Amino acid sequence: MNGLRFLKRWETVLAVLLVGEILVFGAINPAFLRPSTLLFSTSDFVHVGIVALALTLVIITGGIDLSIGSVMGLAAITLGLLWVNGVNIWIACIGALGVGCLTGILNSVAIHIAKVNPLVITLGSSFLFSGAALVLSGLGGASGYEGISGFDASFVEMANLEVLGLPFPLVIFFVATVVFMLLLHRTRFGRYIYLIGQNQRAAKYAGVPQFRTLTIAYALTGIMAALSGLVLASYFGSARSDFGSAALMPAITAVVLGGSSIYGGSGTILGTALAVLLVGYFQTGLQIIGVSSHVSNALSGGLLVLVVALRSLTEMGRAQYLQWRVLKSVGQAAR
Amino acid sequence: MLIRFLQNNREASVAAIILILFVLLGLVDTSYLSFDTVVSIYNNSLILVVIAIGSTLVMATRGLDVSIGSIMGLSAAIAGILMNGGYGIGLSVAVALFVGLLCGLFNGFMVAVLRVPAIVATLGTLGLFRGLVHLSTGGSWIEGLPEGFKGLSHAVFLGLSPFAWIVLILLIGTHCWLRYTAFGRSLFAVGDNREGARLLGIRVRSVQLTAYAINGILAAFAGIIFAAQIGFIPNTAGNAMEMRAIASSVLGGVSLLGGTGTVVGAGLGAYFMTSIDSVLVMLRLDAFWNDMIAGAILLLVLVADGKIREAMGASLRYHKYRKFLEPESSSSSAKTPEIKELSEVRK
Repeated sequence: MNGLRFLKRWETVLAVLLVGEILVFGAINPAFLRPSTLLFSTSDFVHVGIVALALTLVIITGGIDLSIGSVMGLAAITLGLLWVNGVNIWIACIGALGVGCLTGILNSVAIHIAKVNPLVITLGSSFLFSGAALVLSGLGGASGYEGISGFDASFVEMANLEVLGLPFPLVIFFVATVVFMLLLHRTRFGRYIYLIGQNQRAAKYAGVPQFRTLTIAYALTGIMAALSGLVLASYFGSARSDFGSAALMPAITAVVLGGSSIYGGSGTILGTALAVLLVGYFQTGLQIIGVSSHVSNALSGGLLVLVVALRSLTEMGRAQYLQWRVLKSVGQAAR
Repeated sequence: MLIRFLQNNREASVAAIILILFVLLGLVDTSYLSFDTVVSIYNNSLILVVIAIGSTLVMATRGLDVSIGSIMGLSAAIAGILMNGGYGIGLSVAVALFVGLLCGLFNGFMVAVLRVPAIVATLGTLGLFRGLVHLSTGGSWIEGLPEGFKGLSHAVFLGLSPFAWIVLILLIGTHCWLRYTAFGRSLFAVGDNREGARLLGIRVRSVQLTAYAINGILAAFAGIIFAAQIGFIPNTAGNAMEMRAIASSVLGGVSLLGGTGTVVGAGLGAYFMTSIDSVLVMLRLDAFWNDMIAGAILLLVLVADGKIREAMGASLRYHKYRKFLEPESSSSSAKTPEIKELSEVRK
């Protein structure tokens, strides 16, 4: 019985859905099942996954980070600006990651000082960062929404590089998944993350270094958002300030679909990673069988609604069942 | 004293910031300081004001709706299709508002009945409704709207268009509704303490459902204003408006944790968000500074507000427990006169 418990886990459901969806799309259009299609179509959505992994940490603490989309744009523009000013492209990359880290720290400090909902603070900072990205790109000569392009060839090739037969962005995603799994599920830091999300007051009384833990979580999210922005810049061969605005909602969707509670306290990295693949392949699959990208967007929205509603219903049903069982046993005891 | 006033009247702080902005404008060039400027900024802010009202209603019940932008786009698209299909303006607008109502009800059903977390539910419908926009328009822009419809956004009286008057009435009406009716107040009760509201006999679910439904109608109305103002409907109509709406409400003192805030504050917040855009143009700053300045001010207001609330809480606690604290600091000075008095009485 114990051996079968993993069947009840949400990750298993996601994995079954993922395999099922790949098989269904493959049955409709066998071209989808070709390994090269399966592997290289990930480049379209893997940047969402990279940032969603770190976002999982923040959401488990009961917070949220709405500024990730802006940070992606800001990091890309930072990279472009440094590159235009003659900085070596790899040093520019490190600079961009540094900016991402700073944005995360700024978010965390603002949340700590203001003691208001992280949603509001990061909403404000998302305006700030996307504004800063626009200003930087404006000052950098690429006026307004124009991009900065003409990067070093070695940087642009990065996105199309193959490592062990896998596209490089996917490798980054896998490595990040493993690193974050270890970080969240195998370290004291990870336990703190869960505890803060479960009960902030209990965490405080238990002596958890809250501010430090939260700052690390937000800084990691900033860094991963910047990394995701770099992957996009490399994939498109140019840097634009409004790069990431389309990635925010899919990233949150992935985390939520992956089983993390938006109220904090529960969730896994594996769930997020599987949800990223699930939504990503859902969209690619729909496009491969000839559904337009607009409709596939609607359908993936519908998928989220359906899955979340079903989950909520089963939770409610389970609560009812438990209550009924308790009442029944009470009734029997009374008799 | 000032702090207490600001705390009790959160909309006052936004009003003050707007005033500062206009003073800044006056310092640069006095000719800009006119009734016309105020009115033209108001005309530009209509859409944001309407959806800020809607999100205030939802946020009052401790909810959140990030799908408003998509509802805007959907209802604008449907109104446009109907109008270009030869139906009357009134009918088209009514159908569009009805579509908004349906969208809102769907959101409300998810949140109130299925108990899905608000942000998650509306995140899903954000994609769903946006997809319906593309489905209904077939991916192309809707152009050539009837002149009579576009005319609704032209000034008719005191420099305000019919829409501007409707929005003004809507703002005042919603404010009174929220302030002075039992149902309006129950929105805040649900947001402040859901279980407590239920025990008071408030139908929590139907209150939540109503908030989302009205929010949907208002979003649809904003979409119609949008269509009338720019004269055509792109597929991206209303994109990213949800964030601006939430930011406006928060700036105006509406709490995301429900239970507090006023519609007037949200309206002022929306007015401020719009005035930054206009004022920067007048100050001859490049337009790309807009978002950064708006974000910085928003963060500053939030942090300052958090600090003020903390200070208020501390002073409240101090007054509550003062009698327990007193003996430590002033035991020698405070108690002796009392004893003297007693001894005098005995004599």
